[in-house]
Amino acid sequence: MDPITFSIIRHRLYRVIDEAVITLKHVSGSAITNEGHDLMVSLYRADGSLLMGGVGFLHHLTSAAEACKSIIRRFEGRVNEGDVFLTNCPYTAALHTSDVYLVAPIHYDGKLVAWSACFVHVYDIGAMVPGGFSPDSRDIFTEGFSSPGLKLVDQGEMNHDIMDTILNMVRAPEMVALDLSSMIAANNVARERTAALVHKYGPEAVDQACQMLVDQSEESFRERLQELPDGRWESRQYFDIEEETYCVLLAMTKKDDTLHFDFTGSSEQSKYGINCAYWATWGGFFAPLFPLLCYDITWNDGVLRPISMTAPEGTIVNCTRPAPISLATVGAIQSVNNAACTCISKMLSASEKYAKEATAIWHGSHFAIFMFGQNQKGQEAIGIMTETFGGAGGGRSFADGVDVGGEIPNPIGRMANVETTENHFPVRYLFRRATGDSGGPGEYRGGTGLEYAIQQHDAPDGGIHYVISGKGTKFSMSEGLGGGYPGAPCNYRWIHNNEAAAAGKNVNPFAISTDQMTGEQQSVSWGVYPLMDQDVLYVRSDGGGGYGDPLARAPDKLARDVRQGNVSEGVARNVYGVVLDAAGEADVAASEAARAAIRATRLNQEAAE
Amino acid sequence: MEHTKSKNYVVATDVGGTCTDAIVFAPGEPLYLGKALSTPPNFAEGVMNSIRSAADTMGLSFAELFARTSLFVHGSTVVDNTLLTRDGARTGLLTTEGFEDTLLITRGAYGRWGGLSEDGIKHPVATDRAAPLVPGDRIQGLPERVDYKGTVLRALDVEATEKAVRQLVEDKGVKALAVCFLWSFYNPSHEQAVRDVIERVAPGTYVSLSSDIAPVPGEYERTSTTVINAYAGNIAADYLNNLQELITAEGYSGPLLVMQGYGGLLPAKEAASRAVGLIECGPAAGVIGSRYLGQMMDDADVIAADMGGTTFKVGVIQGGEFDYAREPMVDRFHYVAPKIEVISIGSGGGSIVSLDPRTKVPSVGPRSAGARPGPICYGQGGEEPTLTDVMILVGYMNPENFLGGSITLDIERARSIFKEKIADPLGLGVEEAAIGIFRIAAAQITDLIHEITVERGLDPRDFVLHAFGGSCPLVCGIFGAELNVKRIVIPYTASVNCAFGLVSADIVHEYSVTKTLPVPSSAEEINAIYQPMLAAAKAQLADEGFNKSGTAFEWSIDLRYGRQVHEVTTPVRGETPVRDASLTALVDDFEALYERKFGKGSAYRAAGIEMTMFRLTARGLMKRPEIEKLALGGKDASAAKTGRRRIFVEAAGELVESDIYDFELLTPGNEIIGPAVIHTPITTIVLQDKQTGLLDEFRNMVIHFT
Amino acid sequence: MSTRISASLVVNEKSEIACMSCGHTLGPSGKPWKDAARLSETPLEGAAGKPYSNAANALLRRFYCPGCATILDSETALAGDPFLNDVVHI
Repeated sequence: MDPITFSIIRHRLYRVIDEAVITLKHVSGSAITNEGHDLMVSLYRADGSLLMGGVGFLHHLTSAAEACKSIIRRFEGRVNEGDVFLTNCPYTAALHTSDVYLVAPIHYDGKLVAWSACFVHVYDIGAMVPGGFSPDSRDIFTEGFSSPGLKLVDQGEMNHDIMDTILNMVRAPEMVALDLSSMIAANNVARERTAALVHKYGPEAVDQACQMLVDQSEESFRERLQELPDGRWESRQYFDIEEETYCVLLAMTKKDDTLHFDFTGSSEQSKYGINCAYWATWGGFFAPLFPLLCYDITWNDGVLRPISMTAPEGTIVNCTRPAPISLATVGAIQSVNNAACTCISKMLSASEKYAKEATAIWHGSHFAIFMFGQNQKGQEAIGIMTETFGGAGGGRSFADGVDVGGEIPNPIGRMANVETTENHFPVRYLFRRATGDSGGPGEYRGGTGLEYAIQQHDAPDGGIHYVISGKGTKFSMSEGLGGGYPGAPCNYRWIHNNEAAAAGKNVNPFAISTDQMTGEQQSVSWGVYPLMDQDVLYVRSDGGGGYGDPLARAPDKLARDVRQGNVSEGVARNVYGVVLDAAGEADVAASEAARAAIRATRLNQEAAE
Repeated sequence: MEHTKSKNYVVATDVGGTCTDAIVFAPGEPLYLGKALSTPPNFAEGVMNSIRSAADTMGLSFAELFARTSLFVHGSTVVDNTLLTRDGARTGLLTTEGFEDTLLITRGAYGRWGGLSEDGIKHPVATDRAAPLVPGDRIQGLPERVDYKGTVLRALDVEATEKAVRQLVEDKGVKALAVCFLWSFYNPSHEQAVRDVIERVAPGTYVSLSSDIAPVPGEYERTSTTVINAYAGNIAADYLNNLQELITAEGYSGPLLVMQGYGGLLPAKEAASRAVGLIECGPAAGVIGSRYLGQMMDDADVIAADMGGTTFKVGVIQGGEFDYAREPMVDRFHYVAPKIEVISIGSGGGSIVSLDPRTKVPSVGPRSAGARPGPICYGQGGEEPTLTDVMILVGYMNPENFLGGSITLDIERARSIFKEKIADPLGLGVEEAAIGIFRIAAAQITDLIHEITVERGLDPRDFVLHAFGGSCPLVCGIFGAELNVKRIVIPYTASVNCAFGLVSADIVHEYSVTKTLPVPSSAEEINAIYQPMLAAAKAQLADEGFNKSGTAFEWSIDLRYGRQVHEVTTPVRGETPVRDASLTALVDDFEALYERKFGKGSAYRAAGIEMTMFRLTARGLMKRPEIEKLALGGKDASAAKTGRRRIFVEAAGELVESDIYDFELLTPGNEIIGPAVIHTPITTIVLQDKQTGLLDEFRNMVIHFT
Repeated sequence: MSTRISASLVVNEKSEIACMSCGHTLGPSGKPWKDAARLSETPLEGAAGKPYSNAANALLRRFYCPGCATILDSETALAGDPFLNDVVHI
């Protein structure tokens, strides 16, 4: 295949996915899709292997391939032009029941040439709790509608029995219907455009180009792996759910042009739905692998070939049915993601050429808080608080982490405007800003995370409820790199202003920090809670991990950090060893002395053994 | 040439990144074109040079020209330039207490990935947010709060405001202040009160209120827009005032009208207070020019394509209407202002051709060799092959006669470097490789146009393609054919397209009210919303000297389905003020537009429809230029034939000997059958096989498919 | 000629793992090195300012170069956890 034609066909395949994503966002109604970009559209070859992964939520690229393959197995001989299949069973391929995959064959001239697959996190899936994350579910049976594979559209005709059944089982069915319609529309666009491409260049040429795409990715990735030194790197990710502490342990081994991820030693599966099934773990470490190791390589099956995984059955990274799983995507998968990011970054740091691609962890906790209730317009509103997509960048070998800079597995996420949320939900924000001192200290500090506080406003029922699946409070999940500190942990609080008011205390409705709030501050992190009257929900997201020794950070950078509120003077002095003068500039002499003192204290430590 | 002595010339000048163009027109006379290099940062100099260049072709002095000029119309990249070079005022921001970081945290990663290509997005570790125009220590939060209904929950603390203003202006040396409070577009009273304080406590400070500049929901984008306006405000104002003084000094006594990004003109005084409106006014003028040319030729559906040195830009006109950009950005900053949608890729004459070091897969752009060093064949030290070098290797350019013979192109140097860097590594002959690269460029352009047509529910087969810019006429024969457009027009004014757009624009004031009303609502309610806008518009236009017959008012309403996110701006057809019956037509139009844009079955009606914004476009109608119509003569073009040369013919897949023509020797009515090349003083037109070029009575080259 | 093996360590000509900043050696290449470093193990709580709060029993470990005190690596741990060992084969 000549490189010219290949170049053109490749570019046109990108456009197919791009257009399908735009369609999906245009038809959908929800913030989680449009702001959080919690979606994915990708193309697969006729055998279900990944051809081209789009920039959606990256955990899904590989599990959707498994979804295609499972559909191919289940429906062998019964796949026709115009069919659309649905699967959302996490023990088949999906990450959790809320992430519904629609998978559709693409035919040309009667022959199957490719598949398209997409997912969105649907508005509701009929689980114990609105929105799909169920902290109280103890098995898969209370986590909503779940199918290992069904045919939703039969040769262009909607199967209304199935649609009606799904909608019968979910809250806000009109919104779920919209979610499904948007995915059908996206698949339609992918099918039409791919078929047009095949029509223009012929099935052999396109197939050849696709094969080349996959082979090229494999060759390029193996070449890069050969450039990196052989080694074995370890990572340990703790996270806390209520009274339990869980651990994801990873040993990543690189030998020649292969990479092996071994999760042996990770915790036993949990009674809480934070478990990952096998495919979620597989997808979880590709989320950092693609952008860190394959930023200039097409993301497809070629990248998968040098990779292998060990995930012992019965652990939180390979749970067995019927373990609950609804919170996988804000649970163990994040730790898999973080652990892999750390190991891959450590491997990159072992190479002069690739050291600049390494990064400390971004927004390690990726928690979720959903609100639900009657809104000020009398509608039933369910939705995620999009601030978790605000994230926090990890420090890098040449620059700080980006403050409130997003997260690695979600390349084009963003949070909603305050005004958008206040328009759809009966709430009012008291403040929303970056949190000083939340970025992990380092030569290049971690990016700051976000903090915000809301209370109800004009809610017909006096308030709303929220489902919080928060973690990262006891442990910081944003590991540092190269000696950098981890980012600050998360914090979630229910501030009991109603009780304070009842006791005759003054409640400030315009408090701009928790210090100005008189109600008792109760830590919450897991479960369903009310937000009524004057009570406030306060959320502080984690910061990004730092890179390198804080004592190496240039003092004038600390002066700027302090001036802009990102680092406090106390931390500048005690952790970074930088002293500021009365004008707020770095006092070079005093800083040198402070740093010398810190070094002396360090050396007085016991030897590590 | 006998020039009439009465005052009826219209002078239009457009300042672009590289060149400043001028057009002078008067009824009954041919269009006079002028060009000069742009002269940043004092652009006015380049403006005067371009006018002088036009005046020279007319045989007039400056004084003579200006004495006879009744209207001066202008567009400029001065604000875009200020943002790119970060040369604006020392700016501060006042906002709601507790939300000081809105501008800085850019809704999370949005400001980090916004404007990046897919390659950039896939490589997050290498990305960063742009440094903000206002750093954190020049942002002050004020005690105040308004809610989603516009109700004041907490009155503005005037004392705290005074203190904050003093701190910013006196301690931090701030020269311009942006003010943006939550929900101010529903209740601007607090922002207005802050302006009063600033005028009292720090007079002379440039002030921008978000409720004036961008009264729409979404506090991040609104804040960003207001900041941009404050940052560039004085520069835009000084620039326009300076220009006004210069032309007045030369003897001009008429109005100065300035192009806006939404394709309408504003009097200089008003434009001077809306710096943000100047952003991307050049491409907007290009689309307006294209629309007018289309009207002249009875084409209401036009794809307007502009290919210059660095970028390829395209906008679409459908039924005489165009779309506004969603989520516009300037440099790396988001803003909200109505802006004609023009999309672009880095595919221009100077785009660099390269091979992926590992896979050898070729790509064109987005890196550009710019004007310096420029393409290899310009002989200015360029070492990397560009698209222009490819075009000379496929025979489209005459090495001896480029830009009217002023430059000799070094084809041999281009050939040898191209062979070494591209052809040999690909294992192809030079011609074969050049053809392949040319095809890749054409395919990229086709895909871009596809994005703004087919992906928006439009069929290119219904459209006429207008090709502007120095490089477009060389490639349009290929991508125009692939898109199957009706025909291609290379306008006589192609080289000064934006200036031409300036003279065909109206004065346009845009008004809007953000308010949510369900469908159905009564006509009475809707008319009540428009009343104050209409009153303001009428007063404004009267002030600008328009009587009733010289004005036109267009209503449009943003609608959306109750549970969906996306709004569609729907023009109100028929009589206004509206009657209840006409609202049914509005809903039908909305639904049709929605399905067209977002696909069949994309609409979700069950949750109802609501109206979210009411817009009024108020026009002061300007006289359109009457372009001189020449007499149509015979088809025989042989007098213009200058020779033959081997040129790339797409259908043949190789270089084929074909006829070469000189545009200046053609007369209206002449027909040229492709494949052929027509050299003009400023560009080259390539006709492919099964294409016939006809020079029309306006000296446009119209390419028909046979 | 020293070869980089992490953000803070190199392997020197004698195949020893050494601090990138000062050259202090920590053991042979290809073997765990953390036992040779100075260790500070303190609660994550209050480690770097106000937001490091409610951190229960989480510990922050920092491994220092015995020569120049530069932090060579950091870990989050529970009491008694083994060190995380990275091994690079040159």
